[in-house]
Amino acid sequence: MNIRGVFIEDTFAEAFTMRVARLIITGRSVRWAREAALKLTGFATSVIGCKCEAGIERELGPGDTPDGRPGFSVLLMTMGKDDLPKRLIERVGQTVLTCPTTACYDGLPDAPDRVGVGSALRFFGDGFQSSKVIGGERFWRIPVMEGEFLVQEKFGMVKGIGGGNFLILARSADDALAASEAAVDVMASRAGVILPFPGGVVRSGSKVGSRRIKSMIASTNDAFCPTLRAITKSDLPDGVNSVLEIVINGTDAAALAAAMRAGIDAACRPGVISITAGNYGGKLGPHHFHLRKIMAAGAPA
Amino acid sequence: MTDGLVARLRAPLAGDADFGDVLAGSWAALETRALTRRRVYLAGTGPAELGDLFDVTGSPGGRIRFSGDLSSANRLGAALAEGEVVVDGDVGGDMGIGMSGGAIDVRGNAGPRAGGAAPEARRGMTGGELLVRGSVGPEAGARMRRGLLVVGGNAGTHAGAGTIAGTIVVFGDTGLSAGLWSKRGSIVALGTIAIPSTYTYACTYRPTHLRLLLGRLRRRYGLAVQDRHLAGAYRRFSGDLADLGKGEILEWIAE
Repeated sequence: MNIRGVFIEDTFAEAFTMRVARLIITGRSVRWAREAALKLTGFATSVIGCKCEAGIERELGPGDTPDGRPGFSVLLMTMGKDDLPKRLIERVGQTVLTCPTTACYDGLPDAPDRVGVGSALRFFGDGFQSSKVIGGERFWRIPVMEGEFLVQEKFGMVKGIGGGNFLILARSADDALAASEAAVDVMASRAGVILPFPGGVVRSGSKVGSRRIKSMIASTNDAFCPTLRAITKSDLPDGVNSVLEIVINGTDAAALAAAMRAGIDAACRPGVISITAGNYGGKLGPHHFHLRKIMAAGAPA
Repeated sequence: MTDGLVARLRAPLAGDADFGDVLAGSWAALETRALTRRRVYLAGTGPAELGDLFDVTGSPGGRIRFSGDLSSANRLGAALAEGEVVVDGDVGGDMGIGMSGGAIDVRGNAGPRAGGAAPEARRGMTGGELLVRGSVGPEAGARMRRGLLVVGGNAGTHAGAGTIAGTIVVFGDTGLSAGLWSKRGSIVALGTIAIPSTYTYACTYRPTHLRLLLGRLRRRYGLAVQDRHLAGAYRRFSGDLADLGKGEILEWIAE
């Protein structure tokens, strides 16, 4: 398959089931809601080193938030369901509770699985906290020096998918970066999808384990490192001098596939030689996103 | 949920009537026939069945609408635990007294102790939502434990007296001695209120939770909540300091 001269490999991205929470963070202004959202989603690129993966899903207008203030929707994901409440409590407690004017609400109200967040953070109130039940949901008012921090007692948890990906193989680093930026521009702000890495792009794709150190969970993906072409079993086609990866997490397979389709289409531009994807032979992750099937499914949504 | 039942009063009530048993406990799943057999106690004449006084039509399903002059109907919605109740007009005293769930929407005025407690009871309403679009008499929400009482007009004296917790929102003026002996209850006053001497000023701020609460009242019940109510500043008074002191009066500042 070719798209505007870019070869689409006959392969698939292998992705994993994760647990997802959606947080709605609001503030008195876009500035403060964004500050909290950026802090909450900071250092959350990969569960390998960060214990969770998180990203801003999209900006919300006042009409789309529970308290009528500007806000951001954030997805936070972990591998296990026991990890999710821990990470939520840590991050909401350290990054939203601390941020002026903000409040934090559940963005998955229909999820039957509920995890306590406000119910744990309330203890910061040292006995001065109070709660209000509004529309059947309990919210905690935690007194802080600025005034009050409002946080919902419980947040919904659903199964999601992490590790959707595609690799952009380009003639130069500039070409790879330009294609990545074009892909991220069309993938960002899609409902149900986050790109957890810096600017949505990964330059250090990894393989499972290490050739030299047994205790390492992951190490550099030498098969796709241009500088190692001559001394390792390289998977790089001729002419490729730089590779960047886009990693996509989301709430469901349809959202991921739609985002991948849009991103790959945008990345097919001059200077890009081929698009491929990372997998482990299909033995580890239950979700397989076949690039050619995705691109054959129709125009990017 | 269906459109529910409609109960039209056939003839004006001759005197005070006690509706306390009509909607108490589980009623939403009852067939119409079973519901109409529930008792109303008429002062001077004794018990009657609901069906003797009202034409009840429609399909049961957790909703019921009462129409007719019910200004002498006392204890309507008492001990309500489920469902939605609408009253087209005024009601008597003790509306929703001791209710624990469900929602009541009174499209008129209510007498004393709406959402409150019977004289012998330790607790008033313990859950649910009671909306009176008009005014209420004294002791509205007295000794309430949980839940929400909303008054579209004015509240009489001693609103929220002895509240254990819960929230009372008054769009009009709140009478004297509001919140006396409150432990943890909240009174949100959008009109005038005389702050009892056992409450102490804490600060002026913009409570985020009121944006949720008042926004919901605007969306769900169509109440005349203004944007300046949502975004406005409120004076917070803590009290009753003669009791636990974890209650509050939030007085809206018209800006």
